[in-house]
Amino acid sequence: MALIEMNSICKNYKNIGFETRVLKNVRLHIEEGDYVSIMGPSGAGKSTLMAIMGCLSQPTSGEYILDGQEVGKLNDRKLSRVRNEKIGFVFQAFHLLPGVTALENVTLPLIYARQSPRGIKEKARALLTKVGMEHRLHHTAGQLSGGEQQRVTIARSLINSPRLILADEPTGNLDSKNGRETMQTFDNLVKEGTTIVLITHALEVAQHARRIISIHDGQIVSDSDREEKTEARVL
Amino acid sequence: MRIFKNFGQALRGLRLNRASTFLMTLGVMIGITSLTVIVAIGHGVKTEVLDRITNMGFGPESFSIIAGEGRMFFTRSKNTTSMTLEDAENLLALPTVQLVVPRQRKRLRIINKKEFTNTRVYGVTPDWQLARNWKMKDGDFLSDSDMNQKRRAVVLGATPTRKLFKDADPIGKMVRLQNNFYEVIGLLEEKGLTESGYDPDDRALIPLTTSMSRLTHATHLHSIKVVTFYPSQVPATMENVRQILRRNHSLSVLAADDFRFITPESIMQWVTESEQALNRMLILISTVSLLVGGIVIMNILLVSIRERVREIGIRRCFGARRSDITLQFLFESVMVSLLGGIMGIGLGLAISFGLQRFDIFPTHITAEPFILSFLFCTLVGLVFGIHPARKAAFLSPEESIRAQ
Repeated sequence: MALIEMNSICKNYKNIGFETRVLKNVRLHIEEGDYVSIMGPSGAGKSTLMAIMGCLSQPTSGEYILDGQEVGKLNDRKLSRVRNEKIGFVFQAFHLLPGVTALENVTLPLIYARQSPRGIKEKARALLTKVGMEHRLHHTAGQLSGGEQQRVTIARSLINSPRLILADEPTGNLDSKNGRETMQTFDNLVKEGTTIVLITHALEVAQHARRIISIHDGQIVSDSDREEKTEARVL
Repeated sequence: MRIFKNFGQALRGLRLNRASTFLMTLGVMIGITSLTVIVAIGHGVKTEVLDRITNMGFGPESFSIIAGEGRMFFTRSKNTTSMTLEDAENLLALPTVQLVVPRQRKRLRIINKKEFTNTRVYGVTPDWQLARNWKMKDGDFLSDSDMNQKRRAVVLGATPTRKLFKDADPIGKMVRLQNNFYEVIGLLEEKGLTESGYDPDDRALIPLTTSMSRLTHATHLHSIKVVTFYPSQVPATMENVRQILRRNHSLSVLAADDFRFITPESIMQWVTESEQALNRMLILISTVSLLVGGIVIMNILLVSIRERVREIGIRRCFGARRSDITLQFLFESVMVSLLGGIMGIGLGLAISFGLQRFDIFPTHITAEPFILSFLFCTLVGLVFGIHPARKAAFLSPEESIRAQ
């Protein structure tokens, strides 16, 4: 069964009597353990798609099934729980809480967890060690470099053992060296079985993924997976 | 527990935004300061008045009549010269009256050689001592013959004695009041300062007749104290007294009394009335300042939410529900308000102590302002926090995460 199943998703934004159709009939299936990148020029609807995928907003119409659960019509409470338990976010601008230590930033999702598991600190420490940040546990966001901040963000996205990691331009604010390291981390996570959806407009970043989906003007214009299948059928 | 975690996040938020936290507390702080001070003054005044009543030597079977129209202690009243010694004699004729003490009073400088002090000088009759039940420390009290001879004799309270004579024995010495010398014939036993700082020992007593001819140069009395046999006789006696005085003063039916009664009950009533007036003022001032404080909190929180949109977005992304954000911001506003309250109480107590210390106002600290402040602050925090908190909670997570 697919982890993500989107059928004819539409998203419109209303502006004083003016309706913009940002996503038009998007149909998308992503299997568990998949490594997908979504590409497209700015304004194509990448971020909107990611917001819907991450349960940050809801589609105007269409069906979105995440991990077997129809999430398109959930209320705020349930949607928050889905975000909390199933999704980890990595942002271009890192989005760490200012003035708070790396360790505490990593444990943030657990504040809102239904049950806070024992040994939070140890788990956070282990994750920070995994991303090579064991020497910066008690530094606040402002005291860390961009690359370091992004590694903390990745650790934070993993703390709840989510089914899906959504990364929005994760290398956008990083130099090439840190960018490579971040992508390396993602590659390793995929090997461990995590599903990752990457949103980017840089081809070399997108090429890390096994499957590249291009989106333009609110519609999927190409999908390497589908093309392979078509090719296979043609052959 | 989720609620405690939100509380923790709120604390962290306040710590990180110290400047705005401080600004937010100011309004509430001022409100609670004024509340604390006014409550302290209210209690202080009440304690002092009660103190004075006790020290007027009122038993339940006595009351005072003060010359002049009006109410209670407000001395600048009309027709203050109509009460005479004859009135007092007529009152003594009433069957229910045990003692009558007519009195004149004047605040004067009393001088012994180079030492001098200002004190309250009373012209009284020998019955004063019986009515007040005040023992002598040394010497004798004024006698009937002192009265008849208009003798220049004085009985001193402990305070002027100490100031004028230090360690010397004052009995038989002469002190000067205006242009006359008086012989010190007796010393009153010391009572000591009352709780509110009133000094009952600050007085000097001379024969009423001497006072009339040498101090006030007038025959009218300032007050008459009436002692009945039993407390139950007081109301009826007061009515009889009223009729006698009205007749003696030839007041027409329409004219108001040109004298006032003072009883422990009437003083209590007056205190209660003034306390109520004070309380009304208190409620008004506190309401206005807490309202202002609340609005300040609301505005600063609204501004700070605009600054913290991103933080809210991040929290929402990682699973914070609307209720979590609402709670966090509500906790922030309630805590800010309580913090302002605590600071206000501190400042209020300091001011209250200062007022008492420097004799500006009598104050008395009670638990009341603490409880009131706690309640008011929580209320202000909740009422004025709810709007910003809801506003924060209903930001779209998608948009707030993208806000720059």
